[in-house]
Amino acid sequence: MTLQECYAALGGDYQEVLGRLRSESLVQKFLLKFPDDPSYSLLETSLAAENWPEAFRGAHTIKGVCQNLSFTALYRSSSQLCDALRDGFHPQALPLAHQVEQDYRQTMAAIQAFRSSLPA
Amino acid sequence: MNTIQNKTTRFLWGSLISVILLCVCVFSFLAFHMGSVSSRTVNEVGSLYMSSMSEQLSLHFETTINLNLEQMEALSGIMAPDRIHEDPEQQALLTSYAKALDFQYLGFYTRQNDFEMLYGSHLTVTDPGPFMDSLSAGQKKVAVGEDAEGNSVILMGVPSSHAPSQGHSCVALVGAMPVDYITQTLSLEENSNHEYSHIIRIDGSFVIRTSDASRDNYFDRVLSLYDNVGGKTPQEYIADLSAAMKAGEDYSSEFTIGGERRHLHCTRLANSEWYLITFMPYNTMGSILNHLNRQWVGSALLGASLILAAILLVFAGYFRMTRRQMEELARAWHDADAATKAKSEFLSNMSHDIRTPMNAIVGMTAIATANLDDRDQVQNCLKKITLSSKHLLGLINDVLDMSKIESGKMTLSMDQISLREVMESVVSIVQPQVRIKNQQFHVSIHDISTENVYCDSVRLNQVLLNLLSNAIKFTPEGGSVTVALWEEPSPKGEEHIRIHLSVSDTGIGMTPEFKERIFESFSREDSARVHRTEGTGLGMAITKYIVDAMEGSIAVDSAPGQGTRFQITLDLEKADISEPEMILPNWNMLVVDDDQLLCESAAASLQSMGFRADWCQDGESALQRILQRREQKDPYQIILLDWKLPGIDGVETARRIRHTLGSEVPILLISAYDWGEIETQAKTAGISGFISKPLFKSTLYHCLKQYADHPQAQIPDPNQLTPDLSGKRVLLAEDNELNWEIANELLSGLGLTLDWAENGRLCLDMFQDSEPGYYDAILMDIRMPVMTGYEAARAIRALDRPDAGLPIIAMTADAFAEDVKKALDAGMDSHIAKPIDVREVSRLLKRYMRD
Repeated sequence: MTLQECYAALGGDYQEVLGRLRSESLVQKFLLKFPDDPSYSLLETSLAAENWPEAFRGAHTIKGVCQNLSFTALYRSSSQLCDALRDGFHPQALPLAHQVEQDYRQTMAAIQAFRSSLPA
Repeated sequence: MNTIQNKTTRFLWGSLISVILLCVCVFSFLAFHMGSVSSRTVNEVGSLYMSSMSEQLSLHFETTINLNLEQMEALSGIMAPDRIHEDPEQQALLTSYAKALDFQYLGFYTRQNDFEMLYGSHLTVTDPGPFMDSLSAGQKKVAVGEDAEGNSVILMGVPSSHAPSQGHSCVALVGAMPVDYITQTLSLEENSNHEYSHIIRIDGSFVIRTSDASRDNYFDRVLSLYDNVGGKTPQEYIADLSAAMKAGEDYSSEFTIGGERRHLHCTRLANSEWYLITFMPYNTMGSILNHLNRQWVGSALLGASLILAAILLVFAGYFRMTRRQMEELARAWHDADAATKAKSEFLSNMSHDIRTPMNAIVGMTAIATANLDDRDQVQNCLKKITLSSKHLLGLINDVLDMSKIESGKMTLSMDQISLREVMESVVSIVQPQVRIKNQQFHVSIHDISTENVYCDSVRLNQVLLNLLSNAIKFTPEGGSVTVALWEEPSPKGEEHIRIHLSVSDTGIGMTPEFKERIFESFSREDSARVHRTEGTGLGMAITKYIVDAMEGSIAVDSAPGQGTRFQITLDLEKADISEPEMILPNWNMLVVDDDQLLCESAAASLQSMGFRADWCQDGESALQRILQRREQKDPYQIILLDWKLPGIDGVETARRIRHTLGSEVPILLISAYDWGEIETQAKTAGISGFISKPLFKSTLYHCLKQYADHPQAQIPDPNQLTPDLSGKRVLLAEDNELNWEIANELLSGLGLTLDWAENGRLCLDMFQDSEPGYYDAILMDIRMPVMTGYEAARAIRALDRPDAGLPIIAMTADAFAEDVKKALDAGMDSHIAKPIDVREVSRLLKRYMRD
């Protein structure tokens, strides 16, 4: 699996991220660091604890990271969730959080697939 | 509306006619009334005048007769009483005196009612009775008589006791003269004033009658000639007249004979049994008074018509005014109605427009939910949902913008911007749309002397994007869209520059009617071909508002099927940053582009940088020139090639050039398109690098500079464009490690040294613990645990340190204007939206660190 294919699989924009980071190796380096990013678990635990401000911060950070990495799909859903949580809880937040979860899983799956295709 | 207008019109006409009628009535009444008053006055004045005239006449008669009688008395007095008969001398003296006094007869009157003449033929008295009685009683008397020839004479007798010769007893001395004398003296005959008089006796018989009177008795004459005298029968008249004469009173009356009004006055004459009856026509006085009357009526009529004319004028003016007001009212009503209709139409359109994507979202969500296991299906659904939500968001944004405008809440935040960056960002945004619709896209920049100006970049972007997305939307596949930018000196003065932005397409165009209304809110070309195109119809109204707020102007030129061209003219203040001097080696350059303006402008920019630049408009002539110059041993050292060229395209041209020139000369491809798709192909053809349109001077400079520094450089590296940051130390507050690493990676490339603070508190501590001047700037994330970026910035600004005012730039994923404002309020210098754009960061850092 190439990096480009991985981006296609996770719903990202490879051209954009390459334009910003300018080197394939940098893109790969940061992409592989994404699974270690704690923002998603922050979001997950805060949502479970109904700590809306923290959930907002979590979503917001995911949004920021996704912008940097051009993970377009996850960026979109996290951004919407962010907007829903901006002023505390909103009924829209739960379906949106579900969407974020879906996108996150898809992203993670693509990254895992890419990682496993790398030469050891 | 019409009924009101008709009512008003009817009322006005009615009032006008009533006023005219009233005027006519009042003035006619006045004319008639005054006429009758004046004729009454004329009658009074007439009878007054007539009476006095008659009195004058009778006085005159009396005076004349008295004079003659006194002369007779004097004659009688000069004789000695008893000796006249014996004294012929005395008789001769008497005769000569009497002749001198114009008496034509003189004699003694005897008791026997006979005359003893001194001279003149023998006289007889017509009515001797009263004459004898009066004289015998010792009174003077006048009477009428005849001489021997039958001529009428006036006799004037004075009592005298002379003894006539034959022993007759003498009663009086009588002198006589012809009646004509009296008539002439008294002017009894009809004169130039048509006055005439008779002298009559009490029985109506004439004593003296003037020529036209044919009968002997005045009463007979009246009875036979007239049926009506001053409203009385002749008998009544005669009875009245006789009664007055008997009573010795004056009598006045008036009557009309032969259409002529006459006045009659009768008065008794002294020393006689006679009455003077005078007739006087009203002619003269009547004509004077008629003239007066006519003048009065004339002026009354003139006055009336003047007043009428004035009233008519006033009415006409008022009428016109009322009609205009009515029309204005009707227009305002129509406008308000149209606005209401437009709004409700807009609402219904909007509801429809919102429902369509909403339905798609709901439907697609349902489909996706039902097919959770079918990955492709779900992905497809999500894609469609994304599109629909984007569309929906666009609609809502427009409506929000419009409501901001309508409530007057939209304001511009003028900041220093680079036209190059605005154009570059707009072009990069529309590129995908152009590519999807397979349209020709041209960017033409020329005559740009000032790239940095003050303007609201967000709103300017919005305007350009709106015009461009409309152009793309309404231009069919394969059509062409052109955006152009050029400058000229501004009429506002040296401090300003006038920029022209034009967006033109070869699309479906607009009807003239729609063109009229295009900048109105809530309007949309209402035809089938546009119904399938989305949009609120607010975009142009918003655009127009923004351009107006920037004190610019927008013009549109369009015809159905002929495409559309919008042109915006703005006078913008020049930014005070000095443009760096851009000087490069004096290389030979060739610019190849089919747009002549672009070629000329690029060549001019290049020449100002020190290049020797030529240009041509197609691949073939470019090849020819290159060969020619090579033969002249003065070859081109850099070649700029447009991708889309007529005939052989840029890539093919490049291939042929490489074939001819070998690999050492850099060939750069100019394009308004995203070159991702042709990059491989272009590289294979021997393209050394890319320059994206728009071709600003700085674009050219930064791109070409690297070839001057490193002649062997291949793809232009944007980092090369941003020197002068090396050695600077920046503190970066960012709670996310991954984001920090990316930022660190990117910004280190600029030569910066970065320190990481995981939250606002740490950032504040690290800054506090550092030596003053250790950090050159702070990049501050906003959403951080422990302490937010806003709080940290505020705290840093509040520190008592010489470098507490260092540049702090906010970084956030939220690009809302409110966030920007909050960042500035917290004391930060500026704001960058995530994701981190190296060029933007370096631009801002350079700008603020230099300050």
